[in-house]
Amino acid sequence: MPKTIMTVDDSASVRQMVAYTLREAGYDVVEACDGVDALAKIDSATYNLVITDLNMPRMDGITLIKELRIKPKIRFTPILMLTTESQSEKKMEGKSAGATGWIVKPFKPEQLVTVVKKVIG
Amino acid sequence: MIDSLQQAFIEETKELLAELEITLLAVEDAPTDSELIAKLFRALHTIKGSSSMFGFDDIALFTHDIETAYDLIRNGKLGVTKHIIDLTLLARDEISNMLVNTGSHTNINEENTKKIIESFREIVSGYNKTEKKQTKDAVELQSSSNNKSSEKHHHFHIRFIPGKDLFLTGTNPLMLIDELREMGSMVLSAHFDKTPDFIMLNPEECYCYWNIFLKTTKTLDDLQDVFIFVADNSELTFENISNEIPKDFEIDFTKLQNIISQNAQNNTNDFRSILKEYFSVQKQEMQSEINAPKKQAQASNGHSEADSVSSIRVSSEKLDELVNLVGELVTIQATLSQVAISNNNNDMISISEEVERITWSLRDSALNIRMLPIGSTFSKFKRLVRDLSNELGKEVELSTDGAATELDKTVIEKLNDPLIHIIRNSIDHGVEAPEERIRVGKSSMGKVHLSASQSGGNVLIKIIDDGAGLNKEAIREKAIKSGIISETTEMNDTELYSLIFAPGFSTAKKVTSVSGRGVGMDVVRRAIEGLRGSVQVSSELGKGTVITLKLPLTLAIIDGLLVKIESDHYVLPLSSIEECIELSEEDIKKAHGRHIVNIRGKIIPYISLREIFSIKTNRPKIEQVVIAKINNHQVGFVVDQVFGQHQTVLKSLGKYYKNVEGISGATILGDGTVALILDINKLTENEEIIENNF
Amino acid sequence: MSNSVLNETKQYLTFKLSDEVFGVDVAQVREILDYIKITKVPQTPDFMCGVINLRGSVVPVVDMNLKFGMNLTERTVNTCIVVVEVKLGDETAVLGALVDSVQEVFEIEPQNIEPAPRIGTKLNTEFIKGMGKREEKFIILLDIDKVFSSEELEIVQSSGNFKSNEINSAK
Repeated sequence: MPKTIMTVDDSASVRQMVAYTLREAGYDVVEACDGVDALAKIDSATYNLVITDLNMPRMDGITLIKELRIKPKIRFTPILMLTTESQSEKKMEGKSAGATGWIVKPFKPEQLVTVVKKVIG
Repeated sequence: MIDSLQQAFIEETKELLAELEITLLAVEDAPTDSELIAKLFRALHTIKGSSSMFGFDDIALFTHDIETAYDLIRNGKLGVTKHIIDLTLLARDEISNMLVNTGSHTNINEENTKKIIESFREIVSGYNKTEKKQTKDAVELQSSSNNKSSEKHHHFHIRFIPGKDLFLTGTNPLMLIDELREMGSMVLSAHFDKTPDFIMLNPEECYCYWNIFLKTTKTLDDLQDVFIFVADNSELTFENISNEIPKDFEIDFTKLQNIISQNAQNNTNDFRSILKEYFSVQKQEMQSEINAPKKQAQASNGHSEADSVSSIRVSSEKLDELVNLVGELVTIQATLSQVAISNNNNDMISISEEVERITWSLRDSALNIRMLPIGSTFSKFKRLVRDLSNELGKEVELSTDGAATELDKTVIEKLNDPLIHIIRNSIDHGVEAPEERIRVGKSSMGKVHLSASQSGGNVLIKIIDDGAGLNKEAIREKAIKSGIISETTEMNDTELYSLIFAPGFSTAKKVTSVSGRGVGMDVVRRAIEGLRGSVQVSSELGKGTVITLKLPLTLAIIDGLLVKIESDHYVLPLSSIEECIELSEEDIKKAHGRHIVNIRGKIIPYISLREIFSIKTNRPKIEQVVIAKINNHQVGFVVDQVFGQHQTVLKSLGKYYKNVEGISGATILGDGTVALILDINKLTENEEIIENNF
Repeated sequence: MSNSVLNETKQYLTFKLSDEVFGVDVAQVREILDYIKITKVPQTPDFMCGVINLRGSVVPVVDMNLKFGMNLTERTVNTCIVVVEVKLGDETAVLGALVDSVQEVFEIEPQNIEPAPRIGTKLNTEFIKGMGKREEKFIILLDIDKVFSSEELEIVQSSGNFKSNEINSAK
């Protein structure tokens, strides 16, 4: 069974790009447009990985990560954050919220797949 | 698929750029509004992030420095200035350029982009000395992966002791080890000596650690990259032990792994000594290397679709296709009704009525999908007004209302240029210079107001300014001078004002770069009429001018008046029709063969379609004159028979008939025959030209 | 005329104009309609018969007899409209050809096609792909992309035999 990944991003094009790239790489992908949407959809499937943007309206990525880590089902699920912010503060903030790692935007599709493989194989 | 993704990206970025502009202008009024600034940052952030992914590296690079500046602003380290807003507006235009000119850089002024980037860098460096480091950081991921590692082999001893809370961030350490394995050949030893007794064991914590020997062509940086996510809370050591290994020594990894695995108890020190022993004792005997099993991405096509979303993005072609199909349905439904009635079958009639009801709802919904709020167009004009008033040295404030009024997408698109032209005119000719305004007792700030509202099947758009107003005498003089009217022509105010839309008319005393571009207001009128709309002007000297555009809600289906000449049917746009009267042979005699009729004491000229269309058969004893209002003049069109209102689905006549004058399209009637839709404006214009040549 | 076009065996649909037989590549024929009412578009040349409703699309119809300088096509029970697809640059246009009658579809080998004579056909040689031989008779194989090229029908915009002339001269 293919692994299922949720991608959370308010930019439809980035989200679709991520989804398309991952589907091409053989993953199942569920899209969510922000933190609130992601939380609403998180119970609908068993996810092997969550990839979330940080800057989003309604609920930002850091809050989403914190919310997800409370859920028993998601507790040990890897979460990657997409960030253009290269400052380590943001990364550390994400890490302490419970993120597994980060992908620095902009990235190329191959880079995304590489990082995802690193995390879930 | 990639193409459509890229298309989606371009569309989205265009929207973001539009939003950026609106937000920028809003920030100018409220420079401390943190929500607006956050919005600006988000837009730039998204543009930068996505553009590189879709191959628009130039945009990504360009946006980077701007984003950096806005990050500072967002964090309160930098204040918004007019300079920054001006620069960002310029940058916005530049990005828009880059987006359109993908691939070819012909239209992109590199000097310009450079200047903008440098200005932003200056702004940033003024506040942040570490700016350079950040730039480097941002491209870190890319550069490290692009680095071609030398072909030289390195031998590393890696010790990886994960933090206890490793699992809590969802990390699987085996994945990291697998990743290392793919970088070359390795032997590995897992150690469990730190695992507590079962009673004390917390299954959520990680007690295991690893010692790894790796032969690879990768550099230390590459190895550290593997552990980048866990480096902060793990104990990691990398040691290059290449010099401990004899030259030309072929390592038998299988054998080495066996030796290591047999010493199950070994800890780090043991691991190291086993390696040392192996290298000193072993001679080159075997050659085979273990190739790390390469994982292959499973190729599967059965993707689960994303869960339901609240809105979806469809290309406008698909929408047009839908509207076309609905148009055909409307046509076929008319046929069905006709057949049902002529067969006089009650069951069938009731079914056909049901189909009619559903068809109309479907038609309304389909057309409704194409409706867009006009606000998106309005907001563009804020920028226009800002630029223009700067250029002309005037102070103008633009206000709008009714931005939520909806219009067909195609109408909105075609409305853009005429509106720009009218606003230009209002600012250039209407609104006075600040000194002049103060002199006549007005506030120095001029006002231009855009309003939209729906009235029946039409949308009214008003462009109101509080400027000098139209000077009737000047218009009259000018019109006589340009030969548009004669000295004796009597005109009411509405007629007089509408002269400003006549070709070749301009009352402006001096030609400015703004309105002296060689296109007059006649272009505006033609464009609006092309949309089956009309333009009206009212004005009061010294108080201001109101220009009202009346536009149909949609272009795909219009209300028409169905008429017949000989055996052919024609449709006239109902919106311009005022009434129908009869024309008998006697009436024609009374007028001495001149093409005029007398309606309630008013003389109205008419055009005989029979004559224009060269239909040579005899005219019926009593003809019908359809009176229409064109440019505020009444004109009659003579036909054989008038049937009445008809829901007309517009069809193009296609390439072969594209330039036929006086016919704007065709429609299909209930009985399947084709009826032509008349362009009565054009017909009138042509007739005027012919008659004026007599 | 490029010979490569004629190097493979192709099927042609034949139709009659007056007494002559013409052929068009079946690949370009979409369907054949019985004569239906054609709506004349005013101020256009006579050979442009007008438009018909082809399942919801408005399709122009050309009188082939008039187009080739013969007499107006007379309406009989055999009168047909051959609906063809024509390449106009990058686009494909659908067009109806009004003909006296449709004959048959037959296959013709390349060796049985001869190049068009330079004179004697009374037609613009541009329009002719070749002369197909069939049972001692010649069939004129038409290149309908050329016959219906937009320049050929452009006259629709500039001439026309009535008022439009006056309009143009008046300008």
